[in-house]
Amino acid sequence: MYNFYDIVKKYESDRKNILAMLQDIQREYNHIPREAMNVLSEQLDVPLCKLYGMATFYKSLSLRPKGRNVIKVCDGTACHIRSSQLIMDELEKLLGIKPGETSRDGEFTLETVNCLGSCAIAPVMVINETYYGKVTPAKLRDIINECGGKDNE
Amino acid sequence: MSDLISAEKKKILVCCGTGCVANGSMKVYEEFIKHLSGLSDAAAVEAVVKSTGCNGLCERGPIVKIQPDDISYFKVRMEDVPEIIEKSVLDTKVVARLLYHDNTTGKSFRSHKETDFYKGQYKIALRNIGEIDPGNIDDYIERGGYSALKKALFQLSPEEIIGIIKKSGLRGRGGAGFPTGIKWEECKNSEGSPKYVICNGDEGDPGAFMDRSIMEGDPNSIIEGMAVCAHAVGAEEGYIYIRDEYGLALKNMSAAIQEAEKHGFLGEDILGSGMSFRINIVRGGGAFVCGESTALMASIEGKVGEPRAKYIHSTKKGLWGKPTVLNNVETWANIPEIINKGCEWFNSIGAEYGKGTKVFSLVGKVKNTGLVEVPLGTTLRELIMNIGGGIIGDRKFKAVQTGGPSGGCIPEKYLDLEVDFHSLESVGSMMGSGGMIVMDDRTCMVEVAKYYIKFLSEESCGKCVPCREGLRQMLNVLQGITRGEGKESDINLLLEFGEMMKEASLCALGKTAPNPVITTIRYFMDEYLEHILNKNCPAGVCKPLTMFEIDENLCRGCGICKKSCPADAIRGQLKAPHSIDVSKCIRCGSCIDICSFKAIHTARGAEK
Amino acid sequence: MRIIIDGRNCEAEPGEYILTVAKRNGIDIPTLCSSDALPGIGSCRICVVELIERNKTRVVASCIYPITHEAEVITNSQRIIGIRKTIMKLLLSRAPENEHLSNFAKAYGLWPSELLNIQEEECILCGLCTRACEELGANAISTVGRGTDKKVSTPYDEPSAVCIGCGSCAEVCPTKAIKAEELNGTRTIWGKTFELLRCKRCGKHYAPREYIDFMEKKLGEKSEVDYCSSCKKVMQAEKFRDIYRI
Repeated sequence: MYNFYDIVKKYESDRKNILAMLQDIQREYNHIPREAMNVLSEQLDVPLCKLYGMATFYKSLSLRPKGRNVIKVCDGTACHIRSSQLIMDELEKLLGIKPGETSRDGEFTLETVNCLGSCAIAPVMVINETYYGKVTPAKLRDIINECGGKDNE
Repeated sequence: MSDLISAEKKKILVCCGTGCVANGSMKVYEEFIKHLSGLSDAAAVEAVVKSTGCNGLCERGPIVKIQPDDISYFKVRMEDVPEIIEKSVLDTKVVARLLYHDNTTGKSFRSHKETDFYKGQYKIALRNIGEIDPGNIDDYIERGGYSALKKALFQLSPEEIIGIIKKSGLRGRGGAGFPTGIKWEECKNSEGSPKYVICNGDEGDPGAFMDRSIMEGDPNSIIEGMAVCAHAVGAEEGYIYIRDEYGLALKNMSAAIQEAEKHGFLGEDILGSGMSFRINIVRGGGAFVCGESTALMASIEGKVGEPRAKYIHSTKKGLWGKPTVLNNVETWANIPEIINKGCEWFNSIGAEYGKGTKVFSLVGKVKNTGLVEVPLGTTLRELIMNIGGGIIGDRKFKAVQTGGPSGGCIPEKYLDLEVDFHSLESVGSMMGSGGMIVMDDRTCMVEVAKYYIKFLSEESCGKCVPCREGLRQMLNVLQGITRGEGKESDINLLLEFGEMMKEASLCALGKTAPNPVITTIRYFMDEYLEHILNKNCPAGVCKPLTMFEIDENLCRGCGICKKSCPADAIRGQLKAPHSIDVSKCIRCGSCIDICSFKAIHTARGAEK
Repeated sequence: MRIIIDGRNCEAEPGEYILTVAKRNGIDIPTLCSSDALPGIGSCRICVVELIERNKTRVVASCIYPITHEAEVITNSQRIIGIRKTIMKLLLSRAPENEHLSNFAKAYGLWPSELLNIQEEECILCGLCTRACEELGANAISTVGRGTDKKVSTPYDEPSAVCIGCGSCAEVCPTKAIKAEELNGTRTIWGKTFELLRCKRCGKHYAPREYIDFMEKKLGEKSEVDYCSSCKKVMQAEKFRDIYRI
């Protein structure tokens, strides 16, 4: 049973903490399940449409489950001019998915993120919580294999 | 170098800012702990190892410093640790190969303070970062931490505090540059209660990471600054809004607040003064627009981050409609120093249109990339060519983008510009959060403009027509130009939309969104026309409009480019001229960068 | 407080919006997202004017700018007309087939020279419908997403579970982008079909049961379900006439 009620209680059933509640749920379940939205709506007396608006506005939240490995390629300006797009293009080829998509086997989600604040080691990529700096297209294959992934071509 | 073994405790400072951690500094730190605990009691030296925040020169991390000997080591690996301990901790020698080497002059430096990167800097906001363990409040206190709060609570009245901040000339470091003292005064004089104090840690400008470093490396400086303000304006509750992507900053700030509460610097009846102040952390949700102050407040209130018009200042009606002071991380970090050292001191640093210092993130095509703090009034040339060490690969400087997506691209002719709030605006850019992105001749300015507009079109809240529809149209035009479908009328169209957005958008995101486009058109018109009329990208970036060619006459057939090509697009026998297969080439430019004979150049794109 | 609009002296209360004062003095500033019932949105930006206050000129949205000092306002300078024309260019490029928008542009002399990169929308995302639903209805719709892909919809784009069929959203929409289909005594809106109650006096289909129930709960009092509001007024007047023998 999902313990959404506990999350509401953890944040003192206070409406101002809706974003924090949704983020906890996102971290726990890798997305925001519909049940969670209904529970929050009912417990906090907030219309479902407002919660849906929040979940679609904030990009750290997703309504559909993400892959086991979430690859975030930084496209901040410093990374961009150090050719982060090439990294993205190579990853698209290697994994067969576009940014925002998840591979069919649920292994990888590819995303762009706008500046991780590690501009000095651009171009930067994060897979789950691990940072990779000065990434080149040549290094990508090895990094992906490290994550237990095969080339999905 | 002295032969005497120092009787003082040795401090080993290992940088654990996000940049160095990505390069493996945690392992270095743990290795130090392991080896030091294994030292026999017979060792005559006492040593302690600390993990610190970002040292700024992330390019050369992991960075390890030895105090009090003032030795700085760069690109340290786990394997180097036993040698460092043997030579620099148990003895007073240096490990020469780990010192800072200047590749141009061939010189080595014992201390980082002697290097071009660090010696031009003057640290106020970054004063403690890299010198203290951010998780240890005693480190902060040892360096004068919380003395400003004590002074504010027991020696100064709220009016006096506001007077000091006003006279110091401090202006907001987040982007708008509003005079901080006046902001505090407006809030203090506003009716309504409770009042709030907010820290904007939603650093979203791509290319900027100064706020991250301060939140990770010296969280107490922010807490102290906010507490001083709370006392001055009469607030009892504060919020620190931290970007979702900054995991370490969230962790360190949360721990620092708990420690500060334990020590009586936050909470009820602070230090017996009768004043109460508590701080909550709010985590962002992945929305750049939440860096805009009214959107940030909406987000704290539990709503979507849509800005509202600022006809009534937040200092009158802000968070939940109450008087609120919202300042940026770097602004807060300056406050304790100003209270301690006085407004005349701060006023004496800097320029006419910008007192004190500013932290810049010097990134992009510059050799020494990292965070630098310099007095305002320092020239762009000083920053980029001296401190930054010039362009990577000694290529040609083309432009520097300041102020993030709200700023503009500044060309070579303004390199001697003295950086302050006014001068940057006078050339069409702005200070913004301090991002300074250096571009060379292999950067396409049209592509840069397109990049920023794409970024903003995704980050715009979408509420008002000028911004939402204007960005959509501008992006469409710029994508057309970089695909080779540009028309002459496109330039005027971009300017028409840009001018309208500047005047009619609801918030600062929309109003400043056209700046990168307007400045690139102003200063790089030739490049736009090259794309539009000749369907050519001179910088060799826009793929449909460019290709790379190897000059047969210059090529020596060394084969290095072939090895470096990630797409296997280069053919050729050893010692014979090589050639590039245009159909395989991904235009990454690795070959151009690596060719010692400058035999590879950009040429017009293949005809469609 | 005195403000001068287009050369005309006007009186204003502190805090009053420029648009309200202008309207009161017979000065017509074009607007799309402004509604007397739901003030303060300020999203279309068509109502922008030049404001000269303490020697500084700014461009502000007159529907949400509160007057706090003596000032001068210009509603139709070249600069303002230029801004409005560009905004209409953007809106008509988004919704070129929309009659209401086209008529609006023509009426105010803001017809654009060209349309670009055209879409096939009807909604201009002014925000009036979601506001109406929040204040007058059952919170069935909201804005979804952000940036250029922002739209108005029900959660998960599904037929609404909570809509009460009041039709406030369709009523207030400046481009009539929200369709409330009425057919054989039913109303279909946001994917939900409502049976409309029939007035016993005039026979008109006037409101869904769900709407009446909602209002009863909200106001805490039972209401007559048998008659439409115009008939109720007439019947009330008749009652007074009988009581006071008018």
